[in-house]
Amino acid sequence: MQLPSPSKLCWGIKLPPEQKWIEKAIHFAVSQIWQRAHCIARSQLGDESQTLEMIEIAIGKAVHRLQLNSQASPEDVTQLLERLYLQEVRYRRKANKRLVLVGASEDLPSNSTHNPQSLVDSAIDLEIILHNIPPEVRFALLLRYSQSRWNEIASVLGTTEASIRLRCKRALNRIRQKLEDKEHGL
Amino acid sequence: MAEKQTFPLDDDNETLLFEKLQEHILAHYPNPERKGCPDPAVLKSLIETPGEVTLAALNDLHIFKCAECTRILMELRKQKKHEASE
Repeated sequence: MQLPSPSKLCWGIKLPPEQKWIEKAIHFAVSQIWQRAHCIARSQLGDESQTLEMIEIAIGKAVHRLQLNSQASPEDVTQLLERLYLQEVRYRRKANKRLVLVGASEDLPSNSTHNPQSLVDSAIDLEIILHNIPPEVRFALLLRYSQSRWNEIASVLGTTEASIRLRCKRALNRIRQKLEDKEHGL
Repeated sequence: MAEKQTFPLDDDNETLLFEKLQEHILAHYPNPERKGCPDPAVLKSLIETPGEVTLAALNDLHIFKCAECTRILMELRKQKKHEASE
């Protein structure tokens, strides 16, 4: 589907002059995700007819979030918009209670790594797991991921090993459960 | 009821869990255009001097959603291990 003209991309969003950057960033983001958004809608929901509506909803949410922040780069806005779009696809797919695939099999990537469904599920799942984690715990998880040991992490954060491990435990349990489910194909 | 132990052979540092997470990120979060990636120097600091890195410099949890950053971290770890063994 052809990309709408820039004047139609932001569907009626009125922004004050100091927030005009949001409009430009959204234009850029929509142009970046446009083709992929249609591909995902086709494979996840069975047709592309809801793509525009879902992008509109994602734009609305993205603008709301960006208005609460200072400047963000066009790349960051693209990531945000894509995430919100995938979230909307996920909601609708759940609401449909069934997966409908249409089109030829060659329309779909053969490599499961790039399967849109897999990407949607994975992205959203980790998003949910890591949602609302306090900054200190986020940082601790990143440090552990980069192979710092818990005693080193505790030292960096100025706390005890037991304390930081306890604070990370819930997030780690949820990640562990998700990976376990993946291994068993759930 | 006892808590379910999903990785019974994991060590005190949850090494196996983080290895599985790494595999998962490599498989599910391709980012060939390196959108939103922190500067490679920041990733290097994360490995070498983690106390000097901030969450903001890492672009928050971006690394958990980026196979490219994960590959760079793996390479940096390998280099650090190599240097330490020399």
